[in-house]
Amino acid sequence: MTSISPDEELTNLDGRPSSERPTVIARDVHVRYQVIGRRQRTLLHRIGSRGNQPDQSQIRALRGVNLTAYEGDAIAVIGPNGSGKSTLLAAIAGLLPINSGEVRVSEVPQLFGVGGRLLRDASGKRNIRLGALALGVTPDRMEDVSREIAEFSGLGEALDRPMRTYSSGMRARLHFSIATSVRPQVLLIDEGLAVGDRRFRRRAEARIADLLGGTGTLIQVSHNDRELKRMCNRAVWLSDGEIISEGGVAEILDQYEASEAGDD
Amino acid sequence: MSDPDLLLITEQPSTRAYLRSMWDRRRLSTALPMEELRTEHKTTVLGNLWHLVNPLLSVLVYYFVFGTLLNADRGVDNFILWLAVGIFTYSMTASSITGGAKAIDKNRGLMRSLRFPRALIPVSVIFSNLLTFMFELLILGVVAFTTGEPPSLRWLVLPAVVLVHTCFNLGGAFLAARLNDSFRDIQQILPFLFQLFRYVSGVMFPLEVFLSESNTPGVLRVLIDANPLRLMLQSYRWVFMGTPVDVPYLVLAGGISVGLLIVGFIVFRQGEQRYGLR
Repeated sequence: MTSISPDEELTNLDGRPSSERPTVIARDVHVRYQVIGRRQRTLLHRIGSRGNQPDQSQIRALRGVNLTAYEGDAIAVIGPNGSGKSTLLAAIAGLLPINSGEVRVSEVPQLFGVGGRLLRDASGKRNIRLGALALGVTPDRMEDVSREIAEFSGLGEALDRPMRTYSSGMRARLHFSIATSVRPQVLLIDEGLAVGDRRFRRRAEARIADLLGGTGTLIQVSHNDRELKRMCNRAVWLSDGEIISEGGVAEILDQYEASEAGDD
Repeated sequence: MSDPDLLLITEQPSTRAYLRSMWDRRRLSTALPMEELRTEHKTTVLGNLWHLVNPLLSVLVYYFVFGTLLNADRGVDNFILWLAVGIFTYSMTASSITGGAKAIDKNRGLMRSLRFPRALIPVSVIFSNLLTFMFELLILGVVAFTTGEPPSLRWLVLPAVVLVHTCFNLGGAFLAARLNDSFRDIQQILPFLFQLFRYVSGVMFPLEVFLSESNTPGVLRVLIDANPLRLMLQSYRWVFMGTPVDVPYLVLAGGISVGLLIVGFIVFRQGEQRYGLR
């Protein structure tokens, strides 16, 4: 394990130069999930298993992750399925309880991923309004923000239809448009862009570049190497809930690819 | 390395900051019920008229069974108004708390996508039920008028009664939401609990009269007397009809309501980050 403490990391950057002002600091983050088959725990089960053998139904999703991101950083998170990538993003977004460690952020990050569903039965337009309200958009800005989200999503008349009729690509477009409407300083993307069509991906990337050009930070999970190389300067490689390597994006992707080739 | 400017996102905000954040997003909790109103009855002929027809029908059913068949009115004047007040009041509590239990699951999509104070979800359930209750108050006004109940200064107390009642409902909704998120069994148990309480709160027959006719054991009698829902119903009936109220118990009911709200809020917040993960 070659985890790097935040202080050393400053000297360890290559790719695009970034400022020295941190936007995300994750320290020794541990996350365990409780799993019992695919069924939820019942009261009976809880009473029955009180205080006996160590719990084998726990998955240690993150095991002491340290990560610091700075203004202007775009960090690719790579690793095999189930290595803890999505968990890391959710932990940074504050959407998940962590078992130990801490995450500090310059402002509340926005997480955009394929899991986001919003309200199925509500129309796209209504979802825009509800989403904006949840993000704390004030009434006087509501109309402008809603219009901007609608335009950016490019969904046109489909916005009048309930969201359950949307394809996954359309859902992703709407969600991305909402999540970035508040111009978050920290944007977390969990494979969300993959389902968008090429035209939308281009627009999304332009918007992300815009955020990064300011004082933003992107942390992105993806299995698309080209996309990662194009958008990111750094990369971390997660394996079994630990960062096993980190550095410049090209270097880490090469290492990762080499290890995968070795598996075959 | 210290970073005082950075927000510790893995820790819960202070209650003050949390309430502040709720206030900033308060419109979400009124927009959600409006949204529901828009989609809920889309597949029915009467549409949103059901919000009026539904309570009216249940008043008629209870009137037929308890007023006509069983003669359980025991000399209550204007039994239909008495019954309507009881049913509307009681069903607001029942559906607020049941709705609170189910609300987390229902809005999972929203919670997975966006970070906002989750307490807004139970609050939105309360708003939704208050909205229905406003319709029902209209019906009560009409029934009171047509049955010759004279207007009264007691009506001015109504907002205070609704406020205390709402504290109780919100506290219950918070508690049910948290419990149901850990044990889905809650949502199975609640209907039976509310069935029981419908009887011991005197929703469809004058409980006090029946209790004085029978010899209920002392402890049970005290429990029934202190039942906040019974007292809530009593207060509403006093407002609309001037029937008697147990004043000392009313103070207790107010205390229980505020206490339940505080406890419910605290308990709910302990699960803040877990909601919507399943």
